Amino acid sequence: MIFPKATISEIIGLLEAVNDSGGIEDVARLAADFDLEIDEILPSIDGAELLGLAVVREGNIELTTDARKLLDAGIRDRKKIIKDKVASVDMIRELIDRLRSEEEYKISKEEALRFIQKKISTMDIDSYFRIIINWTRYAGLIGYNSDSEEICLLQKER
Amino acid sequence: MLLEIRNVSKTYESESNKILALDNINFTVEDNDFICIVGPSGCGKSTLLRIIVGLEKPNSGEVFFRGEAIEPDNPKVAMVFQNFAIFPWLTVQENIELVLESLNRPDEKKIACKYIRAVGLDGFEKVYPRELSGGMKQRVGFARALAVEPVLLCMDEPFSSLDALTSQNLKDELLMLWADASMPPDAVIMVTHNVEEAVYMANRIIILSPRPGKVMADMRIELKRPRNRKDPEFYRWVDKVYSLIV
Repeated sequence: MIFPKATISEIIGLLEAVNDSGGIEDVARLAADFDLEIDEILPSIDGAELLGLAVVREGNIELTTDARKLLDAGIRDRKKIIKDKVASVDMIRELIDRLRSEEEYKISKEEALRFIQKKISTMDIDSYFRIIINWTRYAGLIGYNSDSEEICLLQKER
Repeated sequence: MLLEIRNVSKTYESESNKILALDNINFTVEDNDFICIVGPSGCGKSTLLRIIVGLEKPNSGEVFFRGEAIEPDNPKVAMVFQNFAIFPWLTVQENIELVLESLNRPDEKKIACKYIRAVGLDGFEKVYPRELSGGMKQRVGFARALAVEPVLLCMDEPFSSLDALTSQNLKDELLMLWADASMPPDAVIMVTHNVEEAVYMANRIIILSPRPGKVMADMRIELKRPRNRKDPEFYRWVDKVYSLIV
């Protein structure tokens, strides 16, 4: 699979900009508005699509109903919406299931990297790890302890 | 009146010459002002902000906070920096608790938690800055500044180290906090070189001239919130500010 290298802040920033254009915008114009190359804005667009917050059709990006809900919400409620969206991404759901099957709901970073490597074939596994942890921490799903180099489930119900 | 900047001038001296950075600056700040100070680079706007918070002394003139000369450790004034200025060896929570400790707040853990949640950093409490994206680092900067529950929040180019999309997101979230009457501060002074950003954020813009910085204009931005950057009315204001700078 392809996993987008964009942080949650970048994705929400993108949605806010599309919202200013009435909820639909030409991708090339959007990139130009931010002084970005198309390939610099694509990860955020892919991220918004993967989270079900935008659809891309014929060169236009359009907000979904959930994206509008997210943008109308305050900072606390945005986090709740993002949590549901992140939890429904296949790879993250599988990672959560894997953590649930562990005695203490945690695995080593090394194991996590192997897990990610199986899903995303990339030489740059560390930066994908950072992005996945950025998403799951923001969503309150999975944390990472850099002292013990372990990732763990943040909510411990099975 | 919250703050008064009265006849403030600042000169930098080197061995061979004297450079006048700020020339007789005067303005006042009231409750509910969200002021952006804009001007070309080198106009002394960051110097002015440092004088306002008491980190630098003017050569002449004074700054009064609620009628008294400003002190550098005034707990009612907080600052957010362009480069975040967070301690890399402390976690997110420890960075915020540290400023509360210096104020001897007995309930520092509770207050730190409140502002960590307010800026959407819950889940990141035990994380070290090196593991954070730029956007998350600046959220720590906001949480730390708000945690002292300041009356006046000063920000020096708080979005300019961030990528364009993250910066967009943080501006909107900061405005949400500003719109929330239960949250500090009562007034904001933000320095920026970005005119669109100033029109998007501020209800008042102070324009400084090229060096030496003088107040060229002090205008209210009469645009409803939430503002839309694609709105023709928004662009009329942007043009108006540009016309005064160029």
